[in-house]
Amino acid sequence: MQIYLPIAEMPVNIFLIIGLGAAVGFLSAMFGVGGGFILTPFLMFLGIPPAVAVATQSTQIVASSIQGVIAHWRKGNVDFKMGSVLLGGGVLGSIAGIQLFNALKAAGQADLFVSLSYVIFLGSIGGLMFWESFQAVRHGGSSVGAVKREPGGHYWVHGWPLKMRFQRSKLYISAIPPALLGFLIGVLSVIMGIGGGFVLVPAMIYLLRMPSSIVVGTSLFQIIFVAAISTFLHAITNQTVDAILAMLLILGGMIGVQFGLRFGARLRSEQMRLFLAILVLGICARLAFDLVLPPTDPFGVVIERAE
Amino acid sequence: MRPGALFLFAVAIFATADARAEDLAAGISRDTVEITSNFTGTDVVVFGAVENEQGEALPASEPRDVVVVIRSDQPYNAIVRQKAPVGPIWINQDMRRFSGVPGFYFLASTRPLKDIAKPETLDQLELGLNNLALGTAPGSIVGPRVYREAIVRAKARDGLYGEHQGGVSFLSGSLFRTTVALPANVPAGNLKVLVYVFSAGQVSSSNSMTLFIDKTGVERRLSDFAHHQPVLYGLAAVILSALAGFLASLAFRDRH
Repeated sequence: MQIYLPIAEMPVNIFLIIGLGAAVGFLSAMFGVGGGFILTPFLMFLGIPPAVAVATQSTQIVASSIQGVIAHWRKGNVDFKMGSVLLGGGVLGSIAGIQLFNALKAAGQADLFVSLSYVIFLGSIGGLMFWESFQAVRHGGSSVGAVKREPGGHYWVHGWPLKMRFQRSKLYISAIPPALLGFLIGVLSVIMGIGGGFVLVPAMIYLLRMPSSIVVGTSLFQIIFVAAISTFLHAITNQTVDAILAMLLILGGMIGVQFGLRFGARLRSEQMRLFLAILVLGICARLAFDLVLPPTDPFGVVIERAE
Repeated sequence: MRPGALFLFAVAIFATADARAEDLAAGISRDTVEITSNFTGTDVVVFGAVENEQGEALPASEPRDVVVVIRSDQPYNAIVRQKAPVGPIWINQDMRRFSGVPGFYFLASTRPLKDIAKPETLDQLELGLNNLALGTAPGSIVGPRVYREAIVRAKARDGLYGEHQGGVSFLSGSLFRTTVALPANVPAGNLKVLVYVFSAGQVSSSNSMTLFIDKTGVERRLSDFAHHQPVLYGLAAVILSALAGFLASLAFRDRH
């Protein structure tokens, strides 16, 4: 069954879009990622103009993240304080990211620099995480040290000033590392145009050493705001948020999130890390293939309505 | 005024002064296409008659060719980037900007264009996908032909550019018709329907009509809202999305 999208100016299959929304909602609720990195290319593949795809998928991310955060919050699995520190850093990072992005653009070859560094970055995060969680799963859940929390144990971040107590995360650490982390994610998301949840989640697990159960809800909490700001900015600058497409994606997302939450609750922490590692490696592989495979048409064409 | 239109004007004056005077009457099966929520494209028939001034069919010794063009008025901008391999990696090398790119272009003709008129004539009237006057955007270097061809290729892939040489048929000595399939992704707005009659390689008469592609109902209201009140629309999008997430979490509350 087809429905016409008023902003994209083309029809799409209703069930295909709902299914896509469900799949992305599932991943989002399970791993604490937004899902834009899957949604955007898929919508573009269906022929939806890139500007509409990018702007509209963020509405679903708002809805799915809120649904996910509320569910995790009911179980006491959201660290709002940590989320706010990350978000604060993220906002500053986005502003810095825009400056950096323009500077790179002026220098030329911004795309190449960004893609290459992202492939290396995701490859190493995904690879390390895969190795660690694979070992953990194989040894029946007893983690090989990396994420094992020793009560009263000290890590490098513990020496920093500005200490704060993050009760939910059972952490008493300096606010600087999470703010810095949020900042870096903010820079990355502006440059790459994706939310950065799948960078944030491993960083919270391995660098901040937050309990895995808290990480997903906390990541989703800060994604809500990133996606909401993104939706609003796209709507006012490009008028490319398609309400009908958004509605279908959100509808699918509602179902997917619910399944993701249930499935996620049954996963053990190291299994969750292993699946996330596979997902990150998958995204890395896709970016790498895009760089290396000869394009079907060496000419890329972007067509925009002249104002 | 575009050079093509100027030329056409000159031709029209010339044609009326021509001794071989003829009358062209043309029409479209509908002048408005309404886009509703179940719009999946539609067919439009362009038809007409070429006769002499007495309303009689022209003699077979004076054969006519008919070219029908449907193109959108709304100009688009295009950016074309060329990728080339550097070592194992494909990177964007060169970039050109174009303006005045038609959002939709379809051509049908009685015979292959090359048999109807000289390349210069086709070029001036922008007849045929290879003859579109895709303007180079101000400040951009004039791009070689390959860049223009890339635009045409990309639009053809989306089903928005096409030509059917031989698609116009004469039903009798004077009546002609052709069917144009408007794809589902045809841009909303006005489409120009142009009919050219060629005689001995020159335009002997021409006609221009307008086909409105109009969003109606909810589609119309949503797209007007998005474009006329972007701030409100953006706020509504964020609030409704948030509300949807909130309601979903209430609806599923007791399930687990």
